[in-house]
Amino acid sequence: MITISQAARRYRLSRSTLLYYDRLGLVRPTYRTAAGYRLYQEEELERLEWICRYRASGMPLEEIRALLDPEGRGRSRVEAALHRRLDELNRQIAALRRQQQVAFELLGGRGDGKRRVARAMTKRQWVALLREAGMTDAEMAEWHRAFERRSPAAHQDFLESLGIDPEEIRAIRTHSGKRNGTEVSDGGKAERESAVRRRRSRSPLCDRRPGSSAA
Amino acid sequence: MKNVTKEQFVAILRDAGITETQMQSLHRLFETRHPDQHQAFLEHLGIAAEKIREIRARSAD
Repeated sequence: MITISQAARRYRLSRSTLLYYDRLGLVRPTYRTAAGYRLYQEEELERLEWICRYRASGMPLEEIRALLDPEGRGRSRVEAALHRRLDELNRQIAALRRQQQVAFELLGGRGDGKRRVARAMTKRQWVALLREAGMTDAEMAEWHRAFERRSPAAHQDFLESLGIDPEEIRAIRTHSGKRNGTEVSDGGKAERESAVRRRRSRSPLCDRRPGSSAA
Repeated sequence: MKNVTKEQFVAILRDAGITETQMQSLHRLFETRHPDQHQAFLEHLGIAAEKIREIRARSAD
């Protein structure tokens, strides 16, 4: 069992968000320490992981709650299976895009017919382009937030087209979602986040690695 | 799976605070550094072939 702060770090969420999920009944830790602190068990963490995945697909919290609700168990099992399948397919597509890029680079771009193969930009190329055009890291972070705000589905699709793997996409999108008003935020959190942003000298797009430690 | 449209893409850049100068640099750099991918991306945004030719011609100078 782990504490709320440990759970928050593991899933790159804020404590406030986890408290909010508790209040909504989305994931409700049953155990407490002697001092009254919440403790998250393995099944609650697994539930939280699923909530993060569904959020990464742009699903609203109410819908996620319905999906995880025991009464809808039959339907939700099918949907859960489909979501797992989609996740796996996205992983494979990202891997294939990366292989495509490697093969293309090995060719050295020789031969006009072969240049047709890899016409998609990579993440590295986009970041280099935006940097050269004069975009700052803060502007790039804002770009992600604006993208997430305007169309979460198109944001997801765009990130996939760059061959970024699903875990990193989830991290980028979760980070981009924090300011759009659907997650609870407090003044302290905003302060901590800008301190974290100042420490990180690169944008979320090029910095995020699964497993890299958050604040 | 939802493609971003040209209007959305431009709006998002503006939301992020990109200036007109930066926008022009972006066009120029995209065309000079990655011409094939520039073409592919403009197609991906759903822009018509004639308009793409126009954009790319303007970006090249």
